[in-house]
Amino acid sequence: MPMASLSRWTMSYFAAALGFLLAAELLVIAGIGYPGAGLLEPATLVVVHVVAIGWLSLAMAGALLQFVPVLVARPLAFPGLALPALLSLLSGLLLLCAGFASLAGWTDWPVALMPLAALALLGGFLLLGLMLVATLLSARPVTLFARFVLIGLGCLLVTVISGATFAAILSGRGDWLGEIALLPAGLPFHALLGFGGWLGLIAFGVSYRLLVMFLMAPEPPARQVRLVLIFGGLGLGLALAGLLAPLADVGLGAGFAVAPLGALALASAFYGRDILVLYRARRRKALEINMLASIPAFAALGIGLPLLPVVTAADAPESWLAASVFLLVFGWLGGLTLAQLMKIVSFMTWLETYASRLGRGPAPRVGDLVAMPRSGLWFMLYYAGVALGTVALAAGLATAFRYAMLPALIGTAGIACELMRVRRLSEIKAEQRPPFHEFPRLLLARAEERRQPHADDRTAANPRA
Amino acid sequence: MSAPLERLVEIALRDVLDPEMGRSVVDLGLIYAIASTPEGKVAITMTTTTRGCPLAGFLKEAVAVAAGAISGVTSVEVALTYEPAWEPAMIAAE
Repeated sequence: MPMASLSRWTMSYFAAALGFLLAAELLVIAGIGYPGAGLLEPATLVVVHVVAIGWLSLAMAGALLQFVPVLVARPLAFPGLALPALLSLLSGLLLLCAGFASLAGWTDWPVALMPLAALALLGGFLLLGLMLVATLLSARPVTLFARFVLIGLGCLLVTVISGATFAAILSGRGDWLGEIALLPAGLPFHALLGFGGWLGLIAFGVSYRLLVMFLMAPEPPARQVRLVLIFGGLGLGLALAGLLAPLADVGLGAGFAVAPLGALALASAFYGRDILVLYRARRRKALEINMLASIPAFAALGIGLPLLPVVTAADAPESWLAASVFLLVFGWLGGLTLAQLMKIVSFMTWLETYASRLGRGPAPRVGDLVAMPRSGLWFMLYYAGVALGTVALAAGLATAFRYAMLPALIGTAGIACELMRVRRLSEIKAEQRPPFHEFPRLLLARAEERRQPHADDRTAANPRA
Repeated sequence: MSAPLERLVEIALRDVLDPEMGRSVVDLGLIYAIASTPEGKVAITMTTTTRGCPLAGFLKEAVAVAAGAISGVTSVEVALTYEPAWEPAMIAAE
């Protein structure tokens, strides 16, 4: 059996992701973007893309680079592309924000930065997709889990291409589209494919596998999980139809978005039922911080996603739509990501530092690397900020929304510090720490330097020889 | 008369702890079989909680080291298998 190992650049992806989350929260507190500005104004688009690409996509990419090889039991394909992909995504996002800044009139940089940004983002995501798709398809048969990730990556591709097209239109280079009006009608579907497909559906698929492992719970029956994939896939297929309709000159009407949202809400209902069963059937009775801190995220999904089609169908005020989307993005996707980062970072750090000591005397457990209950306090602050922010948005209280983001910012900063302390083994007693030169590096896993025993040998050598 | 070698190996493997759960590989049901010959050759069949577990190689080596440290054991072979696949019901009651 080939050995899955540590992804070298995952920590760098996580560090960049957390930096962008902190930046987005600071922007909101500074009053930049919605609700001060309109939903489609450049200032809002800066915040939205810092969150979607900078925070959530980089964190998702870093996690997938580590876990896709583990979950399909195959080594990562083209591991050398992880750093170029990261650099390409970082430069693409910074160029995109610069492009929005010039659209907003904050700077006099050329708007031609927009297509350049799109090119860099497309390049980065293509490199990432190449690594992940090649890894997923190297394992046969293609599992249900792999299908979630493959559909999600398909959504990512459509999101990036549609985003690149929007960038061309916004920078005045969309003449080739002729009379086809993709903006603003295509925007909800672009967002839906990005948040719902690339980030949401993959979060569904990956969490099934990770929760089974983290909770020591029995696998849910495949027919139940397939329902989530079918309704999720249907919703995303409808979103794709909505995006492409103007190209075929088909008018779908303003209410069409209710259909994909309804299908996704059904998928999330089936998913929620399975998650509840996993928690209840777990053999690991004491919940670790990552599983405790995921509970508010699942609650945010349970409240936010059923609300979206209702709010859209009822033609409710824009503030209600904004509040539901904020709850889903910061509460569900953001909260779940922060919670699982605690686990992924501590597990990878343990693996780097202590795995070779296994069975050779006392070693700390993975959970010992995390400061508790302090880490729990940061999550409470984060979620309190998200809850208050959701209420403030729904009530249309712009200033209250800015203040509500303050506890979320403090919570995020606390979690980021705790993750750094995990990397520095700060919670571990001095006698159990390795010599200084063997300490894990903050941003880079020692993936290649520390060779691990081969698991693919059928036998282990005689240890007494 | 000494206890059978298999039993001594099993006792030794109770010191090999899973770093996630803090319970031994024996309690977690990861050890499927232990066999020994009169010459002291020990063969252990084990699994991991998930296929592709990044810890698999380390766990396997730790099991080999722990078994090899027992007096009377002359060689240890550890084989990793996923047939049958591990499931949480295999964990021993606390």
